Amino acid sequence: MRPRRYIGEDHARPDSPDKVAGKAVYIHDMVRPGMLYGKIKFSEHAHARIVSIDTSKAERLPGVKCVITGANTPQVRVGFLRDNLALKRDRVRQFRDEVAAVAAIDPDIAAEAVDLIEVEYEPLPAVFDPVEALAPGAPLVHEIDPRGRPCNTNRLPLDYGHCTGDIDEARRRSAFVVEGDFSTPVVQQACMGTAGCIAEFDMSGNLTMWAKTQIPFLAQRDFNRALMEMGLPGNNSRVIVPALGGGFGTGLDTHCYEYIAILLAHASGHAVKVVYDREEEFAYLSPRQSARTHIVQGCDRDGRLTFRDVRVLQDNGAYASWGATYPTVMLVPITSLYTVPVVRFQAEIVYTNNTYCQAMRGYGNPEVTWAIESNLDDLAEAAGIDPFELRRLNCNRPDTTTPMGLKISTCGLDQCLDATGEKLGWAQRRAADRRTNGDKPRKRRGVGMASLIHVGGSGKIYKSDASGIILKLDDYANVNVYYGGVEMGQGLHSSLSLAVADALGVTPAQVHINETDTGTCPWDVGTHASRGAFMACNAAILASDKLRARIFQWCKQLYPEATDFDLVDSVITLGAANGPSKQLELAKLLRAIHFRDDGDMLTETVFYDPPNELPNWKTGIGNMSATYTFGTQGVEVEVDEETGDIEILRMVSAIDVGRVLNRQTLEGQVYGGIAQGIGYALYEEVKMHKGRILNPGFTDYKIPTAAEMAFPIDLVFVETDDAHGPFGAKGVGEPGLVPTAPAVANAVYDAVGVRITDLPITPEKVLAALAQRD
Amino acid sequence: MKVGLEFELNGVRVAAMVAPHKRLIDVLRDDLHHPGTKEGCGEGECGACTVLVDGRAVNSCLFPALEIEGRAVTTIEGLARPGARLSPVQRAFAARGGVQCGFCASGMVMSAVELLGDNPRPTDAEIRHALAGNLCRCTGYVQIVESVRLAADAVDEEQES
Amino acid sequence: MPHYEYPRPTTLDQARELMAATPGARFIAGGTDLLVQLRKQRLPEPPALISLRNIEALASIHAEGEVRIGSGALLTDIAMHPAVRAHFPALVASIDALGSRQIRNVATLAGNLCNASPAADAAPPLLVYEARVEVIGPGGARAIPIDEFFTGPGQTSLADGEVVTAIAIAAPAAGASSTFMRKGRVKMDLAIASVAVLLQWDGTRCTRARVAAGSVAPTPLRLPEVEGMLEGSSLDDQTIERAAGLARAAIRPITDLRSTADYRRALVGVYVKRAIASLRGGAS
Repeated sequence: MRPRRYIGEDHARPDSPDKVAGKAVYIHDMVRPGMLYGKIKFSEHAHARIVSIDTSKAERLPGVKCVITGANTPQVRVGFLRDNLALKRDRVRQFRDEVAAVAAIDPDIAAEAVDLIEVEYEPLPAVFDPVEALAPGAPLVHEIDPRGRPCNTNRLPLDYGHCTGDIDEARRRSAFVVEGDFSTPVVQQACMGTAGCIAEFDMSGNLTMWAKTQIPFLAQRDFNRALMEMGLPGNNSRVIVPALGGGFGTGLDTHCYEYIAILLAHASGHAVKVVYDREEEFAYLSPRQSARTHIVQGCDRDGRLTFRDVRVLQDNGAYASWGATYPTVMLVPITSLYTVPVVRFQAEIVYTNNTYCQAMRGYGNPEVTWAIESNLDDLAEAAGIDPFELRRLNCNRPDTTTPMGLKISTCGLDQCLDATGEKLGWAQRRAADRRTNGDKPRKRRGVGMASLIHVGGSGKIYKSDASGIILKLDDYANVNVYYGGVEMGQGLHSSLSLAVADALGVTPAQVHINETDTGTCPWDVGTHASRGAFMACNAAILASDKLRARIFQWCKQLYPEATDFDLVDSVITLGAANGPSKQLELAKLLRAIHFRDDGDMLTETVFYDPPNELPNWKTGIGNMSATYTFGTQGVEVEVDEETGDIEILRMVSAIDVGRVLNRQTLEGQVYGGIAQGIGYALYEEVKMHKGRILNPGFTDYKIPTAAEMAFPIDLVFVETDDAHGPFGAKGVGEPGLVPTAPAVANAVYDAVGVRITDLPITPEKVLAALAQRD
Repeated sequence: MKVGLEFELNGVRVAAMVAPHKRLIDVLRDDLHHPGTKEGCGEGECGACTVLVDGRAVNSCLFPALEIEGRAVTTIEGLARPGARLSPVQRAFAARGGVQCGFCASGMVMSAVELLGDNPRPTDAEIRHALAGNLCRCTGYVQIVESVRLAADAVDEEQES
Repeated sequence: MPHYEYPRPTTLDQARELMAATPGARFIAGGTDLLVQLRKQRLPEPPALISLRNIEALASIHAEGEVRIGSGALLTDIAMHPAVRAHFPALVASIDALGSRQIRNVATLAGNLCNASPAADAAPPLLVYEARVEVIGPGGARAIPIDEFFTGPGQTSLADGEVVTAIAIAAPAAGASSTFMRKGRVKMDLAIASVAVLLQWDGTRCTRARVAAGSVAPTPLRLPEVEGMLEGSSLDDQTIERAAGLARAAIRPITDLRSTADYRRALVGVYVKRAIASLRGGAS
């Protein structure tokens, strides 16, 4: 392995200068010639029959170019279960159902036109709680399924489960058993750049979509399907991804607003931009799924885990999107966080007339790790074992296989636990049990920790988990990179350019990453599952190796006396057996190759398919990732017993990252994840009443500001050098937020002896629990 | 009925015709081709739209366009030095990881510029308090605070030389 | 699409003439509350928003004898004014907690009061300082004592056509000290509950007490029962406990999107206790 030149150090990101100068171009900034602005009319009921839609006044408003409804457009089905329609026809099933849309010459006129559309509804009985939705006689959210067959339940036809060993027997055998019920709320991704797209047809009926997406190629597939439904079979979509303004899962599915933009573009003959404002973003974009978890864990007298039994109930909302598939990722911590020999998992996902949910960072992992790690502390207490010792005892080991069939290659969880314990001063702080802070009456301190396991080598959830890359060398030794993954702020372009520079032997400044475009880049399944850097850099290394081989082959041909070759920072060194070595600029060699007879230009492409497999979701078995990322977070809190206020005093986050690629972007990912974890733990919640979102704005949906993140955070990166990872690296996009909430809850329990089981851990809940305690 | 408007934008006198209900952010982005200022919420909660008016940070989404008459506005586009060089604050953000998706960056940098103009050697607490009106969902703010500290040192040095 | 006019008079007379000539018009200063409410269509759209931002006479802060804060003075300037900082620390604390720098750079104290949210941050301090709201209108000029200013959520005792010109506060007597405590879900947030306390304490006896609370009733309010309990007392721990109990009983908090009635009630009790203890000196 060549010594690394760029990988591992602290590098400024190549996209920062433009962003910090206000020059990065987001969808919000883009204008196409003749472009119209689209605005959508949303439902005013959670569940109702659409009696009539009168668009006549809207059509007459000067500046309005077209008004569409389900009645005057071809039916376009949406969602992986095909249970949604871009424009609803006879029924609305949630407050955000799209009923009509307008394209006008400016956004103000479009908004005014939307207000002029009159819709008559006949309200229907609705259901807003998954338990009620499962009760006999509950109103059905869908009366027929997408294939036209009658439904008789609100349960989604999705089968997720796992069963290894005999749960009842393991329970009987256990010395200690603790049960618990936990819940997590609906929270929002809250990207600073809101959702939006521009749809434009050419005169041959081909579509270009500038989209705020994390799945350009799956979106292309979805949009091509829509084109067929619109009577344009064989026409193609091209998806281009500009600067994104954040992702966090919002871009992992295609959305009704995108199909509506397409329908408006088609109906009007103009490019149409649809962009959500902040209120629309909160009210009409799909947030993170909520979850209710019932968990039972047991251990023997020594503290070895004997079994884990988990049941999850999810409020899916009115239509199926990726929220319904959270159990695919929940399986990972449920079966494989710590060594557990007997595991059972059941999941029920239920339609209601609430807002439908989709992907958000962590994708089910934070929801169940909340339950597992909170309950584990309770189990430790029942067994009379220190929670750190219990975790350490049951810590995952390298080169093991878990009940799910996950092949753990490298595993630094033991080091993460030890680092967290040491930096928190665990032994001393826990020993000072229930002590007061002398000069601040009624304030008690405590420490808590929680661990995580997440996919670190992509996560196979589709028939292909591959990523392609093209590296194209020009006459100046610039490397033009075409990669189908998406830079959404996580630093993909940074890691990728450093990987190419290091693997190929050029400087990072010579690596230019092109816009993500399905027309030019090779296929990639999507930027999710923390897979961006892992996939891109692995593909880049393979392609760079190929290029190096060809470069050195040409060297051999042109300089037959040379015996060995090296290429670093665009300079080729030709070694001679007897005599001094010679240096040659790569650019000069490339031009020599280009401008000779029978010349050549060096371009290489690789389609990298990681060594993982698509699990059987019903049995919950399959090695879905090429490697796994582990970590532990520890936190010290101070709880004000009179106000229930929780102050985070300090935090430690130790992660087995395999290898640090770019220290600066890695830290940024973890700090950002921790901030989202803190919000999840303490105050974030989408509040709903009978299906209506009550806090669609930052006024009442609070996310951390710089003032909330004032506590010191100690970051520890454990490098286990995984054989499957690029330069040994694992994916770290999501882990930062996974264990934060249970770490905080465990610290609060240590401080004041109350166990909060429903996120967020608000002062109101703490104070109420303290009153019960006393 | 549109009203005529004249003001100073990044040191240059400009003019526009705007409807009375328009906001400063609309004039900057739609009429005067300065799209560097971003709209994150339209309600004065997120700070993405922060610009300086007579040296003071304001949310341009809540600043009526007509109130800018005769005043001086500085936007992110106005910070760069001649020859397309970034200002010290921008350089610090780019160097220290203060930018990820970049959508909050313009507003965050403008708030930092106001802070350092008033308080060239702020403490961490002062930095956090000054930036409390600028939301970021990506960074967790740690590297943003480090960027501002780095910028404070750099501005100091630049002023000495 | 909004259709309102936006005139920018430069004198108070011009502003009042415009108001008289435009039925349904509204005055606007910083607009950080008003413009959001209009955007969300929580208010009927007025034919005109009459800007007060360019009336020089309203923008200044005078400190001769009492402090008079012009209705156009910006929160940032008010919080930095030496006389305000010297005499009204509770007001400064409430302004520092009121929104972000960006908001404080354009918003006004008068606007915060006229918006009359039950959570108006500046109200509890002004109540304990017994400020007067000076207004002028068709009926002439008058001064409204601050505790008569708020009549309900979003409602004030301003008559049609009246406009606030200044907020006048007499400096508290020597030996008085004051404090302000509030809580939001995060630091930059609307107040879930807030308490302002002013005490005149000579080391043995409390000779004067003013206590006010915000976000726990339809309007920000004084707590005269609490004041009565404290005045003349030695501010011993038992008295403070009883005062906290009276405070909890006197308020009418509700459960809403932001918090619960029980929590707000408990919090006010704790803040009253802690505020008094901090002004008295020593922990309780």
